[in-house]
Amino acid sequence: MEEILTTVTADEAVADTVVDDSDASAAEAVPKKKKRKPINQQKLQDNLWGWIFCLPLIIGTVWFVYSAFVMAVMLSFSNYDMSQGKMLGDVLTHLADNVYSEEIFITDPITGRQSPTGNFTYEPFHWYVKAFTWVAPNTEGLHEMGCYLFNTVFYMIGIPIGMILSMFFAVCMSRDIKGGNVFRVLYYIPCVASTISVVYTFKIMFDNAGVINQLLGSDLQWMNAKSGLRWQDVFGMETASGAFLTNPYWCQGIISKLVVVIMSVWKGLGGTIILYVAGLSGVNAATKEAAEIDGANGWQIFWKVTMPDLYPTIFYNIVTSVIGGMQIYMEPVLLFGEGINTSGYVSLVYEYGLHGQAVESPGKNPSAGAAYGMILAVMIFVLTLFQFWLDSRKKD
Amino acid sequence: MENNENLTPEQEPIEVPAAETPAPEVPEEKQYSSLRYAWGAFLAFFGISSKTHHASKKRGKLVLDIATYIVLLFGAFIMVYPFWWMIAGSFAYTGGTVQGDALTSLVWWPSLSTVNANVPGVNLFSNYIEVFTKGLQNQYDQNGNSIGSALFHPDFNYGIAVLNNLFYSLVPVIVGVITSASAAFAFAKIEWIGRNKVFFFLLAAIMVPGPSIMTAQYAMYTEIGFIDNWTVMVIPGLFGSIMTAFFIRQFLFGMPTSIIEAAKIDGAGYFRIFVQFILPLAMPAIMAQGLLSFMGCWNNYVGSYIFIRTDSIWINLPHAMYLMDQNYDTSKAPVIAASVVCVLPVLILFGCFQKLIIGSLMLTGSKE
Repeated sequence: MEEILTTVTADEAVADTVVDDSDASAAEAVPKKKKRKPINQQKLQDNLWGWIFCLPLIIGTVWFVYSAFVMAVMLSFSNYDMSQGKMLGDVLTHLADNVYSEEIFITDPITGRQSPTGNFTYEPFHWYVKAFTWVAPNTEGLHEMGCYLFNTVFYMIGIPIGMILSMFFAVCMSRDIKGGNVFRVLYYIPCVASTISVVYTFKIMFDNAGVINQLLGSDLQWMNAKSGLRWQDVFGMETASGAFLTNPYWCQGIISKLVVVIMSVWKGLGGTIILYVAGLSGVNAATKEAAEIDGANGWQIFWKVTMPDLYPTIFYNIVTSVIGGMQIYMEPVLLFGEGINTSGYVSLVYEYGLHGQAVESPGKNPSAGAAYGMILAVMIFVLTLFQFWLDSRKKD
Repeated sequence: MENNENLTPEQEPIEVPAAETPAPEVPEEKQYSSLRYAWGAFLAFFGISSKTHHASKKRGKLVLDIATYIVLLFGAFIMVYPFWWMIAGSFAYTGGTVQGDALTSLVWWPSLSTVNANVPGVNLFSNYIEVFTKGLQNQYDQNGNSIGSALFHPDFNYGIAVLNNLFYSLVPVIVGVITSASAAFAFAKIEWIGRNKVFFFLLAAIMVPGPSIMTAQYAMYTEIGFIDNWTVMVIPGLFGSIMTAFFIRQFLFGMPTSIIEAAKIDGAGYFRIFVQFILPLAMPAIMAQGLLSFMGCWNNYVGSYIFIRTDSIWINLPHAMYLMDQNYDTSKAPVIAASVVCVLPVLILFGCFQKLIIGSLMLTGSKE
């Protein structure tokens, strides 16, 4: 202790001398300066180049993600209809003037004519309220967002199916057999194929007279997005008329939805298999062997030794698949077109934001789309948090 | 053990009468019915030990291996069959009077293919030729009036779509991977103030779902003139992606820092270190990430569908394939040929680099 203290004081003393009488110890001060300078230079270089190397990525992320996110939040309270020729910059800088508003009309009691009053009601949450209350047209009062969410949740039954199947195949591939790598490659092929080509192929394969019906010997109306789930439909005795009055909503297009589930499971299987094979190769072999010696059978080893080791991979997989599953859009729309029977929730963002279906303003209306998008972001965030909460509870 | 397995089936007929009449001569062995014995022998043949028969471990492994192969081959068949169907369908002949039937009823090979159609002017590759010549033409009647709405740019054809797609996937991927790698280098190997804060700031961006900012992006791109031309498909990609940077960063963590230290002592600046050391040394990771993002860009249908009008000359390959589907009413075999053109380059690329790509995916899987 004392030694350290003495050295410190000695150093201070040297520093003092350097500061006080620089003339006297000039010869000593020069090498000291040389010693210090490269260190500062190095730090400067580190900071400079660190920022320079990151700059493109920072600019890209801020420009295309964060600024777009802030804009989306702001737009969702406004009414920015692109057909009106307003500038986006004006809308964003004068957001208070562009908050969604409706002019109040007065109805003349004698003539029944409506006349504008010049007063406005401001409803910043108009699009959100609309999203939660809007009733889909021609459907006997079905709640639109609920229906689209139902479709999204229905497509998520592909997640557990895919998990179990990919786990099964991964366990098969991790066995000590020749050519396991070849299978891994073959199973990954659908993941790299373009979705649109696959959709187009499936569209014809699932035709009434197509391969699938030929091989199954069935007559299912896979491609009829309105076919129901009555027994006569399943066995092909009667084609469903598709009227909303004859079938309850939940079973409309249920067979068509199965096509989307089959396709997403088929397309996503390879990726999860690779994750599981990687996870299985990391399972502790010594623990496995010990369990074997203790007389555990294969089933017990799988559940008691392999599964706990694999848990992080499974959890990661569930989280990413739920986030991806909430954003399903392309597959059902390319297969069946946009519609309340089959489209996922994200379709609402596209329909209102870019295809101009908002009834109040029939142009492209990014405001409406942004509001639906914000609801989606909140839903995904809450779902992810919920999963992490479940995970933390399991660990306790 | 081997003898035991061989003997037990032979004992079976001897034991059968013993089981029917009470046999006190073998009191220490438990008596089983003949059915139970047969079942035990059956199980032993498939390598499963039971109370009556003992199966060898070797037999058990062999049987399980065969079962594994059967299951895996069945799965592989389901995985690959649609691609075979696609290739076979692209040779179907769907012109003439019976339209579409050869394609719809296709199981292994079209009943009426371009080979056996016996139509003058139809050869093996006529579907592919049609894709590149007539597939994306506006439909006109004999007087030159357009039937329906003119959907496409007059100069547009499938070849241009392929070139567009090459441009859209090569330029942003090559530049983007290098910018991502430079960011990864800064995050992994340079000590600078605010490094971790910036990293988590960037990583948080992947929490933002694409569809929720999509309309705002559309408005922004319209404002700065990115819509309906090549810029929207190229410029955002040039800045790199955070996920690519993240994976390359993981790879760089495994690399020794002493190389960089040595280069620094020899007087190399950071730029030179990056170009001469990091890029070559991290090439496997950079290549794998580049290939994965190339495939993503090649298949990027949504970007073109949202941001580029259908009558623009800048639409990309998947979008052009979709439009071709809209353009044909019944004769679908050329559209299948178009989808083969869309899928095949990626499949060939994957086949060539499968070891690299799968290896990289395995690495991310084991690290999460």
